[in-house]
Amino acid sequence: MSGDSGRFATGVPGLDAILGGGVFDGGIYIIQGAPGAGKTILGNQICFAQAAQGRNALYITLLAESHARMIGHMRRLTFFDEAAIPDRMSYVGAFKTLEDDGLRGLLDVVRREVRTRNASILVLDGLITVHEKARSELELKKFIHELQTQAAFSNCTMFLLTSAFDADAHPPEHTMVDGLIELQSALHGRRAERSLQVHKLRGSWFMGGKHSYRITEHGHSIYPRIEALLETPSVWDSADGPMVSVGIGGVDRMLGGGVDTHSVTVVLGPSGSGKTTAGLQFLTGGSAHEPAMLFGFHENPMALRIKADSLKLPLKSRGDKVTLMWRPQTEAVLDEVATELLSTIRQNGIRRLVIDGIEGFSKLTDEKARIGSFLSALCNELRALGVTTLATAETDHAGMTPGQPLKGVNQTGLSAVAENIIALHLAALRSENHRLMTILKSRDRRTDMRMRRFEIIDGGIVLDADFHSAERILRDISSQGPAPTPSTDLKLTGE
Amino acid sequence: MRTVLIVEDEWAIADWLEVLLSENAFNVLVAGNGREALDILHRDTPDLVLTDFMMPFVDGAGLIAAMGQEERLRLIPVVVMTSLLEHVVRDRAGRFRAYLRKPFREADLMKIIGEIFPDDTVNA
Repeated sequence: MSGDSGRFATGVPGLDAILGGGVFDGGIYIIQGAPGAGKTILGNQICFAQAAQGRNALYITLLAESHARMIGHMRRLTFFDEAAIPDRMSYVGAFKTLEDDGLRGLLDVVRREVRTRNASILVLDGLITVHEKARSELELKKFIHELQTQAAFSNCTMFLLTSAFDADAHPPEHTMVDGLIELQSALHGRRAERSLQVHKLRGSWFMGGKHSYRITEHGHSIYPRIEALLETPSVWDSADGPMVSVGIGGVDRMLGGGVDTHSVTVVLGPSGSGKTTAGLQFLTGGSAHEPAMLFGFHENPMALRIKADSLKLPLKSRGDKVTLMWRPQTEAVLDEVATELLSTIRQNGIRRLVIDGIEGFSKLTDEKARIGSFLSALCNELRALGVTTLATAETDHAGMTPGQPLKGVNQTGLSAVAENIIALHLAALRSENHRLMTILKSRDRRTDMRMRRFEIIDGGIVLDADFHSAERILRDISSQGPAPTPSTDLKLTGE
Repeated sequence: MRTVLIVEDEWAIADWLEVLLSENAFNVLVAGNGREALDILHRDTPDLVLTDFMMPFVDGAGLIAAMGQEERLRLIPVVVMTSLLEHVVRDRAGRFRAYLRKPFREADLMKIIGEIFPDDTVNA
């Protein structure tokens, strides 16, 4: 768990990335947040993570819940290790000492217990009680100063938990400690979202701003903001390799042979136009040994398998080479979902990725202004990981405007993330709906941008060999008169 | 009237036990940790010691060990009250009469006291 000299990782998922690698031996840190924010769980989680590494941790409570209740609650969490108590993890109450002997008595308990138990981690739960007991600001400062001295000389890293926080106030201890971590909770409509913010970290770079976190049966999982975590991709993008088939022969030909490896292609279209079918063809369009993955917000793995079977696409025969990951848009957190996605890609060595419904990311957050930079960072990381991506995005059902068949197809924000953009249309001509496809963008490539009519049959999407049918349909629509103005609510930027 | 020494670093639990045992006609002494308990035991000889296990300065194991070294204190029954599993306590502490897992109910405690002092009348 120890990293660079004198520094160690807390072991809390995500926190160490935000802290630039962890906390320092002998440092003193404040963790603050309103009741219910999860301070006690975080304190215990850090202690048990260190105990698992063979270090000794000590948890001192002041006016907190009883040890029996606390241990009872922690016992339900997976990081809890009964066998670590009391040798590597111990709980001590010190409120009575503070009551009777003041701050001096509490310092005596800390000094004595840290030494006796050879503790390298100390959590003091209830700093607000020390605040209230201090007779003056000077006495509180002296207390923190002496704690710092103890922490440094005993090489024991100390975390002080407190529920007191006033964003406009600057309590004296904030200027003295080595780090200040705040746990917050904010309501977005009826949904509560938790976030962690590091306000200060001496001696190290740290990731500023707010980062989402969740408390589950595993304790805290903190999700650094993807655009901050991946401000630059985690690895350098390698040189482009050979062209990659999108799995639809006609589209490969229109694109001049396929798409660049490590590129991002977005397929736009209304519901029913064939986006997921295109995605399934891309998924199964590589070699049988190439690890591929479909990540979607809408259709679950079972539905996708049934769909692939009905299209006679070889999804089943790919076995574990294909990963299907479904994340419904319920209470998920944007950065959590992206973290899981990237983690699965790394673990499974995915080279071919379908994101079915990329607009789903924007529905996971109320901070719409983030989405543009979020997708940009995500797609840059996918390229860097050597992944060739096809993402689908839903547009409104809209009729075609004669002479302006692409009117209303909003691709704002897509250019920044996609090398290629393909649009699918449903064109109503009298009683019949026709499917049309066009390539709107193909970076640095000579592309056949003329529309094609296509059908979905066994084997998936099949394009007409030329543009004549599409042209005839568009001409007939034109002679039929104007259709309603098409529109789309696809917004990948904060506009 | 029997005397009980409560050794507990969590003040709220110590207060609760003090009230409970006083209402049940015990004379109650309270120590916040093992070191304070040994100070009290230096001058008093209670009939029963109820002790927490994880405490500052001197813990439950240290208290039991110190009592075992003194003839006057050796036979005083000790009840360990803790969140730790019983085998963890038995591995670390010497002789003690009974184990009570926290959190416990009033009736659990009074039952154990009743077993230690079978001839007494307690309001279990």
